[in-house]
Amino acid sequence: MKHATIKVGTALDRGSVGQLMLDLDREVRARPDRVTVDLGAVEAFDSTGLGGVVDGLRRAGEQGVEIKLRGLSQPMLDLFSLVSVQRLCTPAPALVRPDPITRLGAFVEPLLDSIQSVLATAAETAHAVFVAPLRGERVRLDRTTIEVDHSAVGALPIVVLISFLLGLILAMQAYVQLRVWGAEIYVADMVGVSVLTEIGPLMTAIVLAARSASSNAAQLGAMVVGEEIDALRQMGIHPVRFLVVPKVLACAFAAVALSVIFDVVAMAGGALFAWAVAGIEVGAYQEQTRQALHLADFLVASVKALSFGACVGVVGCALGMRVQGGSQGVGRVTTNAVVLSIFLIILIDAAFVTMQRMVLS
Amino acid sequence: MNAPATVGGRAHGQARRTTYDLVRALAVSTAFGDRQVLQGVDLAIRRGEVFVVMGPSGCGKTTLLRHLCGLQPPTLGAVFVDGIDIFAAGAAAMKRLRLRSGLSFQGGALLGSLSVLDNVALPLRENTTLPERVIRETARMKLDMVGLLHAADLLPSSLSGGMKKRAAIARAIAMDPEIVFFDEPSAGLDPITAAEVDNLICKLNQVFGITMVVVTHDLPSAYAIADRIVVLLDGKVAALGPRDEVWHAADRRIRDFIERRIPTDDARGMDVAAHMEI
Repeated sequence: MKHATIKVGTALDRGSVGQLMLDLDREVRARPDRVTVDLGAVEAFDSTGLGGVVDGLRRAGEQGVEIKLRGLSQPMLDLFSLVSVQRLCTPAPALVRPDPITRLGAFVEPLLDSIQSVLATAAETAHAVFVAPLRGERVRLDRTTIEVDHSAVGALPIVVLISFLLGLILAMQAYVQLRVWGAEIYVADMVGVSVLTEIGPLMTAIVLAARSASSNAAQLGAMVVGEEIDALRQMGIHPVRFLVVPKVLACAFAAVALSVIFDVVAMAGGALFAWAVAGIEVGAYQEQTRQALHLADFLVASVKALSFGACVGVVGCALGMRVQGGSQGVGRVTTNAVVLSIFLIILIDAAFVTMQRMVLS
Repeated sequence: MNAPATVGGRAHGQARRTTYDLVRALAVSTAFGDRQVLQGVDLAIRRGEVFVVMGPSGCGKTTLLRHLCGLQPPTLGAVFVDGIDIFAAGAAAMKRLRLRSGLSFQGGALLGSLSVLDNVALPLRENTTLPERVIRETARMKLDMVGLLHAADLLPSSLSGGMKKRAAIARAIAMDPEIVFFDEPSAGLDPITAAEVDNLICKLNQVFGITMVVVTHDLPSAYAIADRIVVLLDGKVAALGPRDEVWHAADRRIRDFIERRIPTDDARGMDVAAHMEI
């Protein structure tokens, strides 16, 4: 019968446990029938040291090697009495890797859930805005004003800055191309049309998604975690009507208002470039812009901005309301809210362009 | 509502029902994924009593409370309030039920953007057409009842844990409900504040006749306030009946819980001996 003994020194703590584990591994690999660990000399120990002993017991058990402990002091026994060594040595059940179909389901299901909750929230919001007032349930306009302050006024500086720079950039790009044919004046057309119909609403909505969809998702998510949404429900207050509707209305309003400001400032940026670099008079630029733009374009762009804004509002709130898993969940839905908002904005934009083309042709 | 009050896993000698059942849970079972939280819970809460739901952490107390107050439907089974199946009755009936009940959450669940007074006034503002002056005065009265009038204008973030709980109680009773649910009203409070909260629950029950459903694992508090007690163990009703009857129940697991004994079947102990050299 093969038999080995490991003698542990005076200390069995986080400084010396590594050595014990190496010794145990080496002895167990040699496949004796039994390894005796002599702890008789140990004067100082901590839970890491005893953790090393338990780890050795488990691993030896897996290899079919018996380990016997010798000379445990009373303090060690006291520490061991707080745990069950048998339970600790029981191997944890191996994680079963789910089959591909299950994994696909685990990926697709939350996605479908998100889309479903976005649609449900959109429907509830539409009901609260268009149907409920007919039955005398008021829309919380006071709260909407506060939300407008957050989402529109708060975003104003960044929207002005981005629009001015984008106006300059667009004018610069257009100028480089048009100069070849001596058609510099058409810079006004290019900046005006692209900003009004496409870039204005789109960039405003993306800024809103980054600012408001994220903050709405995080705020509502934190309220879910703090049971505040449940508290509202319990008080007979509809959370969508109370919290979501003002946010969605504010986002929709902010998108329209900010995209108008975006258009004006971007065109001013274009005009500044045209005047400073291409030598086009501001009056001529303005006249050229006016000829290029039509009221119908502005109306379509405003409706588009309105839908983008409502989409940003609904997505942020819908995802925020279905947070699961505490603070980590709040972080996750915040990211998802921004990503899904931008994705849906592009989708809605594509739908608008397709419809416009169909109407025109 | 004329079904006999035969409830729970154990006969408790309650042959004749003298008071009126306000809430009944019928074969309520709930699972979260693979985890069975509640299994066939049957119980009846009578009008005007203080009903305490006791049990160790993770035994399904809070889940049961969420079913009873209508926040979350059980996987199986039904909850009746005044004989109406609340999860089958539709949104309007659910709203009527909610206006008759209050819930004091474990963490308070006060709206962070509103002052304490506005939190208490919120259900009145949203659900009634009372003039603002009446609403404010009612809210101030409720705050005074819980001893928080001085904190009326503070935001919830600047309140201590005990103050938050008391503010939540004030909000729960804002609409003069018939029934108030409490989730761990004394958890995390110092003994004095916990006793104050217990006292408040008893007073509200006596003065207004409000039916109180209290979920707690705080034994002294449960003993101090309860008319009847249900003990949940592993999601099942282990005992149900008048306080003293449950308190002196013979069942070993109930005794372990009430006498705060570590369960004897726990494997912790000296099983390291198996690995010692004799």
